[in-house]
Amino acid sequence: MFVDLSTVSLVWPEFMLILIATWMYLGGTFSRGRAMWTGLALVTYVVVATVLWRNERQLTVEAAEGLVRVNGPLIVDYLGQASRYACLGIGVLLTLLAARAGGPQLATEVLGTIMMLVAGLMLVSRANELVFLFVSLELISIPTYVLLYLGRSDRANSEATVKYFFLSIFASSLLVYGMSFLYGVGQGTTLIVGTASEPGIQQAVAQLPAHQQSLFLIGLVSVLCGLGFKLAAVPFHFYAPDVYQGTTHINAGLLAVAPKAASILALIRLVVAVVPPDWAAGWRLLAVVAMASMTWGNVCALWQTDLRRLMAFSSIAHGGYMLIGLAVALASPATGGIAATLLYLTVYVLAALGVFAALAYLSDDACDVRRVSELAGLARGRPWVAGVLAVCLFSLAGLPPLAGFWGKLTLFTGAIQVAWESESGTWGWFLALGLVGVVNAAIGAAYYLRVISAMYFTPPAASWAGRGGPGTALAMSVCGVLVLVGGLLPGFVLRTAELADPLRQQARTAVFTPVTTLTEEPAAHPAPVVVPAASADRPHLVPEVGS
Amino acid sequence: MDTGELLVITMGLPLLGAVLLAGLARRGRTAVRSGALVITLLTLVLALVIAWRFPGDGVVDDGWGVSTVAWLGTQSPWDIQLSVGLDGLGLWLFVLSALLMFTAVLVSWESITHDEGLFYAMLLLLECGCLGVFAARDVILFYVFFEFTLIPLFFLIGIWGSEQRQYAARKFFVYTLAGSVLTFLSLLAIVVWDAQQSGRMTFSIPALTSSLQLQPIRPLAWQLLVFWGLFAGFAIKVPLFPLHTWLPLAHVQAPTAGSVFLAGILLKIGTYGFVRFNLAMLPEASAICMPLMLSLAVAGVLYGALVSLAQQDIKRLIAYSSVSHLGYCMLGLFALNSAGLQGATLQMVNHGISTGALFALVGMLYERYHTREIRELGGLARRLPWLAFFLVVFTFSSIGLPGLNGFAGELLILLGIFQRAWGSGSAVAATSLQVIAVLAVLGVVLGAWYMLWMVQRVLFGPLREPSAVAGHAVHDLTRREIVALAPLAVLVVWIGVQPGYFLQRMAPTLDRVVVVAQDALQQGPVDPRATLGGGATAEQLVRR
Repeated sequence: MFVDLSTVSLVWPEFMLILIATWMYLGGTFSRGRAMWTGLALVTYVVVATVLWRNERQLTVEAAEGLVRVNGPLIVDYLGQASRYACLGIGVLLTLLAARAGGPQLATEVLGTIMMLVAGLMLVSRANELVFLFVSLELISIPTYVLLYLGRSDRANSEATVKYFFLSIFASSLLVYGMSFLYGVGQGTTLIVGTASEPGIQQAVAQLPAHQQSLFLIGLVSVLCGLGFKLAAVPFHFYAPDVYQGTTHINAGLLAVAPKAASILALIRLVVAVVPPDWAAGWRLLAVVAMASMTWGNVCALWQTDLRRLMAFSSIAHGGYMLIGLAVALASPATGGIAATLLYLTVYVLAALGVFAALAYLSDDACDVRRVSELAGLARGRPWVAGVLAVCLFSLAGLPPLAGFWGKLTLFTGAIQVAWESESGTWGWFLALGLVGVVNAAIGAAYYLRVISAMYFTPPAASWAGRGGPGTALAMSVCGVLVLVGGLLPGFVLRTAELADPLRQQARTAVFTPVTTLTEEPAAHPAPVVVPAASADRPHLVPEVGS
Repeated sequence: MDTGELLVITMGLPLLGAVLLAGLARRGRTAVRSGALVITLLTLVLALVIAWRFPGDGVVDDGWGVSTVAWLGTQSPWDIQLSVGLDGLGLWLFVLSALLMFTAVLVSWESITHDEGLFYAMLLLLECGCLGVFAARDVILFYVFFEFTLIPLFFLIGIWGSEQRQYAARKFFVYTLAGSVLTFLSLLAIVVWDAQQSGRMTFSIPALTSSLQLQPIRPLAWQLLVFWGLFAGFAIKVPLFPLHTWLPLAHVQAPTAGSVFLAGILLKIGTYGFVRFNLAMLPEASAICMPLMLSLAVAGVLYGALVSLAQQDIKRLIAYSSVSHLGYCMLGLFALNSAGLQGATLQMVNHGISTGALFALVGMLYERYHTREIRELGGLARRLPWLAFFLVVFTFSSIGLPGLNGFAGELLILLGIFQRAWGSGSAVAATSLQVIAVLAVLGVVLGAWYMLWMVQRVLFGPLREPSAVAGHAVHDLTRREIVALAPLAVLVVWIGVQPGYFLQRMAPTLDRVVVVAQDALQQGPVDPRATLGGGATAEQLVRR
């Protein structure tokens, strides 16, 4: 692993975020103006996005054409580039959501910590090295502990924080443990090749001698445990309902979004890129976890009366859905499973944030909307809030014409595709994956409808005030509108997800070259290694993307 | 203007109207309901223009009035299209959707007393969804409309329904969704299978149909699996006999307009799906499952009729009669011959007209007496002559009196099923099929019995009214209500007298399905080792 100036310039946007966050911590002791700091945070995200656009436009365009380059611990491909913009978008939404969070004293702490977390997310999306990946993941975990702690000061919140903290530490150590095996097996910490001298874990694993297979399996399982915790996948989901219930709506929204996104990105970088395609244990593990998560999450959610608990179980189920795509990608790289997962993740993030933003809009420190029955008659009192909630919940249920439908469409198409094309022994798994997935879509609808019917079909129990302030209102509206527009015109998101799939045809035959300066042509650099397509011999259905 | 554009405008109008009405909601009741009426009327006129332009001989090959836009942009690897067009199968159901929505708006005129803006917006969204289902030429677009119809109906039942409306709305939604997600999986399986054969992923229904007829899904066990997946969603929608339990509850709890549209159009989506996908795309599986499907259908016919006989609530009675009548449609479809298929498709329209109107009449009765109990009513013919007149007309239509529309449909269906049972080609299965055919005739008798008995008790005999309203002057149908029912009554007579006008426009489309089904029946499965498990016995039955 080498670090030089070009690497620093590639992480400059993230660096800016961390600098400004630190500055906000300091500045907060001198000036407490909440509106000002929120404004500053929002401006920061916009500025960083602009910097990203100006500095790396060329790289992004080339990445969109399928060129993958590595630089030190970073991988520069379209997944990373597109995810960074998306992460900044999540940052804006979270900032809007948290505009009133943390009481009058703690504005900068909350906003700055969110900014750190966003920086961590952006780094995870481009990690190509074990240590770098782990540190980036910690850059998400540690702000999360702080934010959970800042949420509210009562026993339930303390319990939630402690529970999350200890389990998260435990999961992180499992992750490191697993990584140590990958390091041993792969003879290095780089995931995908950089240069000929440093082959990278992917190549080492592809030529793994038989007696080391079990070591690799141990490493893989440990890594899955660590990342499964962040995804809240069954059987690592136990903390989620308690923590969501104990904390605030805003923190629950953050937990439903940030660790999940990080976990999926890390899984793509770590597992999907490293596991060789003919290695069936990988997708079997993911398929089992996916089916268990979907079913357990949805079935348990049926009985919940607490809104955040319900959403916690729902988030467990959605984590399971996302794993379908990864299992598909492992079994058949050309099927576009990762694209489906990315699409599903994007859509889920918007809908889940929309739900939590709407709930946060109705609540404040004094009055917390907790139970489903407390939403009774919301459609009369606050039709717009009820409308946004209904749109987001229908989208989570996967109903057309909302964005969630397209996530399900692409996921199930992938599963069916693998089921059709694969030989005996495999097709049953993917048929089962598809069946469990669709049946769960129907189970899921049952509890989402319970919330909707409370809002629309029962007479109002209380009068409603917009306690959460304009920030949450804006965040909620943006999410609702995006979910609706994304459902009617899904072309852009679908295409972006398709391009970001690192396993698609061009990406797998791309030239891996270090980038030293941002404008220079890649050809000027030493020993480009051409990685053959992982399994070009498999038939693939999705027509070629791009030019 | 070319028909493709006209079709798009016809479907877009209700959508636009729904948005407009949501905006008009503050302007008060009159503005909202007049707006809704104007929009439905315009939609109806456009639909009629489309029907009038439809070629008289019905020869439209792969669709008529087609307009297509790539949904996801031209660069996307997903070739999903916003493609609409009509053929003989969808044409009359398309027109009927527009017509019944006109009726639905008029019958809601006085009975909806709160949140009118949202109510009419939901009705129009529902109309848009139904028009879309019958015009969609893309699998995904079809499914989007198919599922989308659930959302407005969910709100219609849940907000404006009767006492148990919350439970009814959720049960209806989840029950239907549970089936249709399996349909979704099967539709994807069809697309993926075709993509694997041709190397190019297409979602176009005509392209898939012709491609699957040339290269049927193999192994046959898979084809059967796909068939049953499609079955799950469509059979619940129809509803076919053991899967009908959501229907009575949803019907009884729904507001009148919801019932009219649910019975009139939404149930037809199921039968429509069976023709469009099961029969046209999976002919071999359809041939294999034919005896079983016929048994389920005839079980539904008899069960629905017997349960109807026992009902005290008129609305429930008509709801169960739908189970019986839709059983006829399924009988006709799976007779797999020209007469049966044409009869079934005509009967879909007939049932939409007569049952839609009957639900509207029950709603009118309820507005006057606040009861739907048969035992509390009697001799109303003298009190409400217009209502009695329409009730008798639509009852006659429903039981298939010669000269009215029901007769044409039922006759063709029975003809089809008798041809299947006694005709050549399926000698061994014949005995069971003959039993089914005879039972189907029995169903006609039962149908006449429960309907006429209900009419006799409610309309004739000594006058009996609920005590609460006995003293007040109950007025007969208003002009508005007559306008709502009259077009349906005209159609009842028109289809009855001149069924050929309607049949010849749908025949060529249906004949294409029939030809494929007949081939599949005669050939039997090509690959003997391709069958698995339960399919084998049925398949042998068919082949011998």
